[in-house]
Amino acid sequence: MKRTYLGEFEEVVLLTVAVLHERAYGVAITDELDRQTGRSVSISAVHAALHRLEEKGMLTSHMGDATAERGGRRKRLFTVTTLGSRTLHDIRSMRDQLWNSIAPNALPAISL
Amino acid sequence: MKPTHRADPPRFADWLLEWFCTPHLLEEVQGDLYERYQRDLRLVGEAQANRNYIRNVLRFFRPFALKRNPSDYPTPFLISPIMIRNYAKTSLRNLVKYKASTLINLFGLTLGVTACLVIYLITHYELSYDTFHPDSDRIYRLVGESQFNKTAEKHPVGFIPNAVPAAIRKEITGIGTVAAFHNIESEVLIPNGSEKPTKFEHRRHGVDNAEIVVVDPTYFDIFTYKWLAGNPKTALNDPFKLVLSERKARKYFGNLPIEQIMGKELIYQDSVHVHVAGIVQDWTQPTDLTFTDFISLATVRASQLKKGINLDQWDDNWSASQAFVKLPAGATPKQFTAQFQRFGKAHYPNEFKFAPALQPLADLHFDEDYQDNYTRKAHLPTLYGLMGVAVFILLIAAINFINLSTAQSAQRAKETGIRKVMGSSRASLIAQFLSETAFLTLVAVLISLLLVHPILSTFQSLTPKGLTFTLFSAQTGFFLLAVIVVTSLLSGLYPSFILSSYVPALTLKGQAGLAVGRKATLRKTLIVFQFTISLVFIIGTLIVERQLSYMRNKELGFNSDAIVSIRPPWGEKGKVLAQRIRSLSGVERVAMEWFPPMGQAFMVTKLKYQGKKQAVEMDVSAKIGDENFIPLYQLHLLAGRNYVKSDSLREIVINAHYAKALGFRQVNDALNKLIEFDGKKYPIVGVVADFHEQSFHEKMGPVFMGYMPHARNLGIKLSTKGKQMSELKTTLASIENEWKAVYPDNRFEYTFLDDSIAQLYEKEQKTSQLVHTATGIAILISCMGLFGLAMFTAEQRTKEIGVRKVLGASVASIVALLSTDFLKLVVIALVIASPIAWWAMNQWLNDFAYKIDIDWWIFALAGLLSVGIALFTVSFQSIKAALVNPVKSLRSE
Repeated sequence: MKRTYLGEFEEVVLLTVAVLHERAYGVAITDELDRQTGRSVSISAVHAALHRLEEKGMLTSHMGDATAERGGRRKRLFTVTTLGSRTLHDIRSMRDQLWNSIAPNALPAISL
Repeated sequence: MKPTHRADPPRFADWLLEWFCTPHLLEEVQGDLYERYQRDLRLVGEAQANRNYIRNVLRFFRPFALKRNPSDYPTPFLISPIMIRNYAKTSLRNLVKYKASTLINLFGLTLGVTACLVIYLITHYELSYDTFHPDSDRIYRLVGESQFNKTAEKHPVGFIPNAVPAAIRKEITGIGTVAAFHNIESEVLIPNGSEKPTKFEHRRHGVDNAEIVVVDPTYFDIFTYKWLAGNPKTALNDPFKLVLSERKARKYFGNLPIEQIMGKELIYQDSVHVHVAGIVQDWTQPTDLTFTDFISLATVRASQLKKGINLDQWDDNWSASQAFVKLPAGATPKQFTAQFQRFGKAHYPNEFKFAPALQPLADLHFDEDYQDNYTRKAHLPTLYGLMGVAVFILLIAAINFINLSTAQSAQRAKETGIRKVMGSSRASLIAQFLSETAFLTLVAVLISLLLVHPILSTFQSLTPKGLTFTLFSAQTGFFLLAVIVVTSLLSGLYPSFILSSYVPALTLKGQAGLAVGRKATLRKTLIVFQFTISLVFIIGTLIVERQLSYMRNKELGFNSDAIVSIRPPWGEKGKVLAQRIRSLSGVERVAMEWFPPMGQAFMVTKLKYQGKKQAVEMDVSAKIGDENFIPLYQLHLLAGRNYVKSDSLREIVINAHYAKALGFRQVNDALNKLIEFDGKKYPIVGVVADFHEQSFHEKMGPVFMGYMPHARNLGIKLSTKGKQMSELKTTLASIENEWKAVYPDNRFEYTFLDDSIAQLYEKEQKTSQLVHTATGIAILISCMGLFGLAMFTAEQRTKEIGVRKVLGASVASIVALLSTDFLKLVVIALVIASPIAWWAMNQWLNDFAYKIDIDWWIFALAGLLSVGIALFTVSFQSIKAALVNPVKSLRSE
């Protein structure tokens, strides 16, 4: 099965965009990532990922409202495209499939 | 919650971001950063927020955010295939549309490139002499500095006394390998059983290379040859051994297998029997060491050769005897200077001084100070001059290109405008125009490649012998590539900048987007530059030509008309030949002599005169001939008489210069005084007027004349009174018959004295031809440029001319109007060129002891010539423009 390769960070960003649904823009995504995963990422890294995802056609964007704290600049709001959605689902089903294929007790036990 | 005071992020970080961030991302990026900044202000305070902001900005130095395209509409990649096709199409259309300027440019570039290519081939060939030897930087020739007595000048000599090399090998520590060698001249006999031996003639002097040498075996340690047969270590260790080059072996023995040639017998100088002990491959690269027959040095003492080569001779320099040295790795010639000085002092305690020195191999082909009789010297200044000429010619062609394309640029402004509106970047426009130039240059290079062969064969007299042109050598290819790149940049860079700088809005409205004044200034400057070069060449031609005709026509002090020199072989039969020729009807007089009064060869010896107060001893040139010598050459006797017939030196005649040098006020005072030569005293019986015995480079010096027995050459004066050229030919034929009768085995050769004198000025003749050619090309290219410019000016001013005509201007006034602009430039060029040319020609003339003055009228003449040429070029267009019916040119208005 041929599909566009998605990096781990890109996958996380793409998921975050889905999570934020219609409120997804640079700073919001950065904050959400921080909150959900605990990893502190730079805005520029997020922007770079968004940019790449858009080039790959997984995201579309439109310009949103301006706010005072942004010095009157508009946000670029991102939404997941069908292709993005499809890719996320593919990844998920592949992972599920892999999980399901693991024999019982094959993984060393860990206490959650 | 709102902050109590509104803080802004650091201004410079913002500015930085705005500068590097691509515009279509700037808003969101900056917005996000601001948002984050406001949060930081609340959370960590202003200072930390500022720091965070700067850090965040810097992190946006990422490829995706960096400015890549100046606009939202990216232009295609600089050399995308589609654009290249477009460029090619428009270029071709433009080239075809402006045929005149294309032809002018192409012609100029072709001439320039061809000149460059030919000159490159010549200079590269000359500069590559003897550069191919392994360790060539360690190989030196043993030369020296000699001084005949305390008062005489020290002068460098390229040859050394015969005993010196062996002594140096012993006495100079750390010198490395020393190999003495002696050029000999000989015909070669190959014994042929009971039949007559096969004979190979002497080399012809000045035509053939020196090929026969007697050498130390160490010669082959210094120079590397590929041995086809024989052992390099032992081949020349014994007497009567010979090593041949492959080519020579083939010449002597035809297609005999190499193993069978080994051990064959050859005879040199009639009686020296040697056997082949080795065969080496010929070198293929240019070399001055053109030796092919190597006879072992041990042969000298064991054979007749010892008559010609005295290996124990300490105080005589003979140009045939030299030596090469290969220093050990790491040694420098400097470290031997002191030892050489000591060597000189130890071995030359007397009058004659000699100190050895080392001459680098790389110097061999160029240094005329160290004379020898086998190399052909190349004149380095001439080579550098040639390179300069090539550069200048190419420069003139490039200037034409610049001028014509900037003049033309108005016509192409629309194209540029449209391209810009369509989104062409300036860089891609420049690339387009440059590639047009490159294309034209490429065509020029291809044409010149076709031309090179015919040109090289036409100018064979100018090019060094042995020069061949290999089209596909890497070096030539590299050179041509460099020419293409440099020429394209030189001629294309400025016009493409101009063309690409137009503001589209203006050009599309029909105005040239550039101030006309500035453009014209540059064009004028370039024209002045072109004409300056041309004028320097013109003045140079005039002066070189005047000097040459001065040398041809100046009184030499003797008669050289219809005099033929021939050189019979050694022996007594020469007198018989002279007698037989004397009796021929077309011959006026025959003299037996060493050498004619003037020529390449001369002989200097030391004479002593015991004056009243002190002895005068000095080097005097010897002109040895029989009693016919002075009358034959019509030397002018100032006092006394000619010396009388004798069979050995009895009495001498001197020249006025020598008489004066001896301290005689009147030439008559010299008569009957005694001059000491070789321990004996001889009376002076006559004094002749000074005459030139060497080229005009040298001053006339003291000369004495007398008869000595070994005068074997013949000077023959043919009678020319009322005779045709064809009769001279019959006389020459009958002389040849007499020669055949006396020397049936030897080739008959003769030279006219006039020709051999002209040979002294071969270098100058070449210079003159060179300057002529360069001048021709320079003038041609500049004039073509001028022609093209005049054409454009006339075209651009058609309407003005039309209006003027309607208002009543005459054709003459219009021609004057159009021509004066150009003439002014030529005059300015003359003012600049004159001092440059004067300086350069003065340098050249300084080489001559007898030379012309540089008169002011030469500059005036050059100016007139160039004004004439320029006027002729421009007027053609001006008249055409002036004659056009104004109705035509004004109709469109």
